[in-house]
Amino acid sequence: MTRKLACRVDSIAAHGERVYTVRLRAERPLPSFRAGQFLHLALDPYDPSGFWPDSRAFSIASASGHDTALELCYSVKGRFTSRMERELAVGGTVWVKLPYGDFVIEGQDDVVLLAGGTGISAFTAYLEQLPPHASSSVVLAYGARAASLLLYTDLIRRTALHARRFQALFFAESAEPGDRTSDGAPIESGRLNVNAVWQRLPRPREAAYYISGPPAMLEAVSAELRAMGLAAEAIHTDAWE
Amino acid sequence: MSSAEELRAQIDALVRRYYAARFGERSFEPDRDLVHYAGRVFDSRELSLLVDASLDFYLTANRYSEQFETEFAAYLGADEALLVNSGSSANLVSMTALTSSRLGSRRLRPGDEVVTVAAGFPTTVAPIVQNQLVPVFVDVNLGDYTAIPERVRDAVGPKTRAVMMAHTLGVPFDLDVVGELAREHDLWVVEDNCDALGSRFRGRLTGTFGHLSTSSFYPAHHITMGEGGCVVTSDRELARIARSVRDWGRDCYCAGGENNTCGTRFSQQFGTLPRGFDHKYVYSHLGYNLKATDMQAAIGCAQLPKLEGFVAARRRNFARLTEILQPYADRLLLPSAPAHSEPSWFGFAITVRASAGFSRDDLVRYLESRRIETRALFAGNLLRHPAFDGIPHRVVGDLSNSDVITTSTFFLGVFPGIETRHLDHIADAFAAFMKGDRPTLRVTRPA
Repeated sequence: MTRKLACRVDSIAAHGERVYTVRLRAERPLPSFRAGQFLHLALDPYDPSGFWPDSRAFSIASASGHDTALELCYSVKGRFTSRMERELAVGGTVWVKLPYGDFVIEGQDDVVLLAGGTGISAFTAYLEQLPPHASSSVVLAYGARAASLLLYTDLIRRTALHARRFQALFFAESAEPGDRTSDGAPIESGRLNVNAVWQRLPRPREAAYYISGPPAMLEAVSAELRAMGLAAEAIHTDAWE
Repeated sequence: MSSAEELRAQIDALVRRYYAARFGERSFEPDRDLVHYAGRVFDSRELSLLVDASLDFYLTANRYSEQFETEFAAYLGADEALLVNSGSSANLVSMTALTSSRLGSRRLRPGDEVVTVAAGFPTTVAPIVQNQLVPVFVDVNLGDYTAIPERVRDAVGPKTRAVMMAHTLGVPFDLDVVGELAREHDLWVVEDNCDALGSRFRGRLTGTFGHLSTSSFYPAHHITMGEGGCVVTSDRELARIARSVRDWGRDCYCAGGENNTCGTRFSQQFGTLPRGFDHKYVYSHLGYNLKATDMQAAIGCAQLPKLEGFVAARRRNFARLTEILQPYADRLLLPSAPAHSEPSWFGFAITVRASAGFSRDDLVRYLESRRIETRALFAGNLLRHPAFDGIPHRVVGDLSNSDVITTSTFFLGVFPGIETRHLDHIADAFAAFMKGDRPTLRVTRPA
């Protein structure tokens, strides 16, 4: 059930190249939500007796069950995120409404998560809740412009340690041979490579593919998967306008 | 010049004074005043919130609707509550939701059977028929007026896909049997909880057992918002479908006055529509407009915290009526709660025994002449009503008890507005009737 809540900005982490992680603290307990769902964030004050102000959708990076804590990531791309960069400040107040969306990983199939940039935030709650003995394989392929912009590497490392059938592959366009994440995982140079993932799965044609990232990446990766003969129903994209 | 906030505070203070002046004193003169069977029980808080919502002038669902839905779902321990404009609408939304193509092979299709009872309120059954499904009627027990469990078992056949029944007058139907059948035969269960808010079965609130449940907030019910109802579920897919059915059948889930909540308003593909057709006007169901207003929700927000007190008062009144009427149990079948149930009583049902020496109508006319309101157990046997004549249906066993209810059952109120003075008056009236004070009532017919 959706709710509108005022939140205090608890922290803002700048990762460089205008990429940020924002932690919020809601004034009241959050409604339950599923990993992969999104929220709307409004910068302007909201009077609950009136209309909801201008807002933008963001994946909820934190998992449900943290009572009042919320986390989201953004990369400055347009008017709204430029305002966020200028106006968000620790201690300030924003409004959110949540949860929304069907980009939820369900079913018993093997799962491939394809994340570009801040698109990783659509998968982090799922990774946080991944059970240690899940029967399905989960492969995460995660690409960013630079190695420094690969977020949540600590969460990914912890997931790899506790979830038996989880694997992660990292890509960075500007990576040099031998580059590693801060947690020591190797980073391949170049754009996210679907073929590399394909080789990691025993039955790649039977897996479900979830793609989250910038529009161009969604389009390119979807097209690549379709060209490999995957049915449209097996490809799920977290697309917003 | 006062600010809007200051004026609002002044209005609120006046509303509270108005309440005290208009509704504060409630006298009762047995020779003049009615003992109502049900009614609104409220204080200045209901008026305050109603006026507050009206001053917002948002009109359609907004902050009070969100608050009520959140708090109502929390009360029931459910994930989703959808405010609608009546309990009957909640039933219609629930049954229609189960026909959605989004449910794939689990959707109900025309001709599928739904087990229900014949003795009850018409809009528990009407949505079954309205969705081209086939009601399978079973008889009810006399005394608790819920479905006879053995008949429910017998009713399940190869075409049976769902059970939709009411917890009549607050008494939970046998949720052990229905739950077991649902698991065994993969049946949908819709609990019509309109009469039973606050009732429990094996310690758990009714309205939390089925895939969907419904509540009514009509003034006769446990809490009110004038007109109003709710669909409750913990199945998010069913909630989304139900929301669509409630909101014209649209696919979009933006609240009123909002745009592009899904973030894909102009970039999706539906049916054979052009790609990017405005999602706000894409329809995935043949729906209705059954929404409630924020003013209704505001009243509900004031009522909900009072629910437990209301339930306790209903139980006290029920217990007192049992004491009053126990001496006449040889002539009146008094109501009882079945095993494992703790009803949040809607009313006090009485069936006049065949050997009583008087009829239900004799007793009801007498009580009404003493200004004690009575009500039939709703429609009695629904199949005897013109609206249900000729509907496709099946009957399992016979409906003899439903027919007894049609001729011999009525109920008295137990709502929190009934106080000791009203109960004393009821006691006097019954004592007089049983001693033979039965004046012949003249029935005047139009010339």
